Amino acid sequence: MVNLAIQTNLDTSGSYLPIGLQLLFAAGMIVTLMGVTHLLGPKRRTADKLQNFASGIESHGEARQPIAIKYFLTAILFVLFDVEVIFFYPYAVNFRELGWSGFYAVLLFVAFFLCGFIYIIRRGALKWED
Amino acid sequence: MNAVLLSGLLGVVMMFASFLFRTKAPVRILAILGMAVLLVANVLDTKGIHFFHVNTTGFLSFTGYALFFNTIVIACTLIFFLISSKDMQKVGNHYAEYFALIFFILTGIFLVTAFTNLLILFIGIEIISIPLYILTGSAKKDLKSNEAALKYFLMGAFSTGVMLMGIALIYGATGTFDITKMNIAGLLKSNLLTAGMLMLLFSMCFKVSIAPFHFWTPDVYDGAPNVFTSFMATIVKVGIFVGFLHLFYTAFDAIALQWKIWMAVLAALTLLVGNITAVFQQSVKRMLAYSSISQAGFMLFALVAMNETAHEGLLLYAIAYCLATIGVFGIISKMTDYSFDGFNGLAGHQPLVALCVAIFMLSLAGIPLSAGFLAKFYMLKAVIQAGGYMWLVIFGVLMAAVSAYYYFRVIQAMYFKEGPNHFSGISAFEKCVLVGICVLIVFTGLFPNIIFGWMYF
Repeated sequence: MVNLAIQTNLDTSGSYLPIGLQLLFAAGMIVTLMGVTHLLGPKRRTADKLQNFASGIESHGEARQPIAIKYFLTAILFVLFDVEVIFFYPYAVNFRELGWSGFYAVLLFVAFFLCGFIYIIRRGALKWED
Repeated sequence: MNAVLLSGLLGVVMMFASFLFRTKAPVRILAILGMAVLLVANVLDTKGIHFFHVNTTGFLSFTGYALFFNTIVIACTLIFFLISSKDMQKVGNHYAEYFALIFFILTGIFLVTAFTNLLILFIGIEIISIPLYILTGSAKKDLKSNEAALKYFLMGAFSTGVMLMGIALIYGATGTFDITKMNIAGLLKSNLLTAGMLMLLFSMCFKVSIAPFHFWTPDVYDGAPNVFTSFMATIVKVGIFVGFLHLFYTAFDAIALQWKIWMAVLAALTLLVGNITAVFQQSVKRMLAYSSISQAGFMLFALVAMNETAHEGLLLYAIAYCLATIGVFGIISKMTDYSFDGFNGLAGHQPLVALCVAIFMLSLAGIPLSAGFLAKFYMLKAVIQAGGYMWLVIFGVLMAAVSAYYYFRVIQAMYFKEGPNHFSGISAFEKCVLVGICVLIVFTGLFPNIIFGWMYF
């Protein structure tokens, strides 16, 4: 191991040397490992093996076909509300420490959350049949 | 703080209005009333009457300047609603949501004008940008609108990334997000700080379409529905400009030597590119897109000068530029042909409308007695007072002369050419609003001291 002298002044390019070395090492590691496996590993190409993996069933058709926009809408709304729900976890952990002011803050958060929810329901964003 | 919270709440109210009202008229009335309430609330805030008591120490500081600017922004949006809200119906089916998004954008502008923390700057810019991407693409069946929205979104997201990187580097150099506590004078030779400052400069330049970061502007302004082009070219642009000035005035004044010359070069380049390209346009809408680039060049003079006159000048510029451009776009969205030929003979068919367009164009060109003249005058005066950039002043005057060519082309088409009527009609109320805007422009041009009097009382 080379002992790198770390300068006390943090704002010079020299102080980033360890990070640069680490980047080089990481890239080198990947290149070496992939190269070695490609060179040394045995290769038996059969028709079955070269097929795309589709969870064990035979693949059929193209992956890129048009899908109804409502799938995306439902998916993106799920992500949105899922992320909002995650904010309850940090509150639940600090429930006692935050006291009443924390409770009001969370009530406000829930109120905004509900506003959005009522809005998407009333605008028919989750209606599946046309 | 009144305006920030109220505009957010009004945005939510407008969202609910989309399913509470069956017809469009109550939605429009609600939006206009909401904007009037916002105006009153903000004026009361200026007078020291606060509806909400929220501790924003270290994040927001509502100075008199910021509050007065917010009043201008709200008043301009109110005028925009009065003249263009009927035309928004033509864009698509989500009438109430358009108002909701505009209220949210205003929230973003209020944050950007009053931030003292880089995180708030970032959040404000994002609150402004994301609704704008939606509004740009709101004409869903129009391919040009879709293209404009996609272009704006991709480039805007990229420039936001650059801004975040800049903020991260500045945090790395100074150890704080608070622009009042950065103590930059001690870090004169920090490369990290310079790199971060440059990245912030580039991304802010992108948001206000300064050359060479302006390439999205013509396509986006041309593709977006007329009413929303009017809003984003005026109110949003001056709003971000005040944030831009505030950021560099408060945070980076100590290292002004590093960036001031580049600011002057950017201003000159923007004036050159905007004006010269505008001369060759055939469509008035696209000409106005380039004219908005060149006007941004003039507004950038404030960042070169960085003094009291520059602050006053930017306020005047905001009033002059917003009023005139909103008025012109209000008329363009009632035209069936946006080319210069479409304006042929308008004076014969609609004498009052043509007179208003003429006054707006004269103000944009900076002819004396109009607000536009005074705004340009203050910008040039500020740079002269700051000293050292005489070449920029001379160049600015030259470019203002070039700009007169394409603004006068519209007047010439209206008064000295003959053509069929491309104007689809205007209500008596909208005519009154147009005349009101004209009166305001001339009034501001004649008595600017009254406006500054409001600011400092």
